[in-house]
Amino acid sequence: MERNKHVGVGFRKDFAEEFLEGKDLTPAFLEVAPENWMEIGGYWKKVFNKVAEQYPIYSHGLSLSIGSSEELDWNFLKKVKSFLQEYKIKIYSEHLSYSKCDNAHLYDLLPIPFRWDAVKHISERIKSVQEFLERKIAIEIVSYYTPVAAEISEVEFISSIVKEADCNLLLDVNNIYVNAFNHKYDAKSFIENLPLDKVEYIHMAGHEQVAPDLIIDTHGEPIIDPVYELFDFTVQKLPNTVPVLLERDFNIPELKELQYELNRLENICKKVWNYEHALA
Amino acid sequence: MNTHLHNYTYTQQSRLAGYCRTGELNSIDGLTENRVHHYRELVYNVVDDTLQSAFPLTFSLLSEDQWNEIVHVFFSTHECQSNSVWKMPYEFYLFVEQNDLDIKKKYNFIEELLLFEWTEIEIYMMPDVQYPVFKSYGGWLGEVIAINPEHKILQFNYPVHLKNPISITDDNRSEYYVLIFREKESGKVQFMNLSVYFAWLIEKI
Repeated sequence: MERNKHVGVGFRKDFAEEFLEGKDLTPAFLEVAPENWMEIGGYWKKVFNKVAEQYPIYSHGLSLSIGSSEELDWNFLKKVKSFLQEYKIKIYSEHLSYSKCDNAHLYDLLPIPFRWDAVKHISERIKSVQEFLERKIAIEIVSYYTPVAAEISEVEFISSIVKEADCNLLLDVNNIYVNAFNHKYDAKSFIENLPLDKVEYIHMAGHEQVAPDLIIDTHGEPIIDPVYELFDFTVQKLPNTVPVLLERDFNIPELKELQYELNRLENICKKVWNYEHALA
Repeated sequence: MNTHLHNYTYTQQSRLAGYCRTGELNSIDGLTENRVHHYRELVYNVVDDTLQSAFPLTFSLLSEDQWNEIVHVFFSTHECQSNSVWKMPYEFYLFVEQNDLDIKKKYNFIEELLLFEWTEIEIYMMPDVQYPVFKSYGGWLGEVIAINPEHKILQFNYPVHLKNPISITDDNRSEYYVLIFREKESGKVQFMNLSVYFAWLIEKI
């Protein structure tokens, strides 16, 4: 089976063996969290080396905590830099959130107050990280379930950081769908107001509606049709072709089902980007 | 603290993080109060699931209340430092070892059980160590014995590696040694009980 051209998948230990042994899943690339794969040895190091020989690797960090008040963890960043270099990883993305506070890691993503001082603070931190890593990073718009002490709009917050830090944007279309639903705004209008020329990478995933007015971003379900439609809309708006990732962290189905989702995303990419290319 | 972040903003962030760690909510501006519990659940579940996976024997030993109590005390009072969540259980072991907890009076071998369970993870995940040059056979007296460098020897007062923890009593108190090692080809972790003499010998090789 031919590999997808634009669409990759988040590499998970749950399906690593089946993936390596079979041909049911043919992503364009694999994405990993450095925190799960650096400084390890033994069985999983061998597995990782094997997949890294066969596929381009992209990375999506979990614990940089760009929104924290405390100092950046330079020792951690040094290890990340070494990992990125060792595996020739082109994209390093992180979340526009915080996962460490008062000197304690929380192992999940908390929403940053949409405030001007946070814009300044985070922009400076992103610049420092980019300088240290000697590359631009892509910062992801996260899903959130409650605002916290906001003084500006979400889109103004994100756009200002991307502009001031001169970083790239990871556009998680599902997160935007989830946020638009949870906070009652128009997802398409939100996307149109983002700096789309800065989008380096797209994430797609499934979610779970837990209340009539609330969706939780679980990465545990298939992508639903309205999110595919929003993806189609987004791809048409982008000035550049970018890699697209399918995230599936829980409730992992047969690999053929993941491939079906990859193919559906790939077909949307092909429809838009091949047409655009033909016009050019 | 970085000077760009105002104390007000930091305080709001700190209160949300504090709520996720302790379950105690202080006033946060602009919060949708009937949704914030999702953050506490998401954060706590990651920590709880990670610890349950890391310490299946300890989890089975304790009652639900005992387990929940110790996890809650750990996460609400300890400042986790590991960037990688899979390393966080080692901090849990250290927390139990270093603090005066009621559970240690009921199960005075619990520290050793946690260390045994953690060491299996540690050896399984540890970075590869260069093996010495070796051959499969040779003379005991005339040649140097090469030993698998990916191993650790632990000394216990209770047979946490030999008996179901629920059946361990004070009568079992003695001196035990266990060798935990990673197989070169498969990467699987094995352990074996050692006599005092063999533990001494392996450490001397």
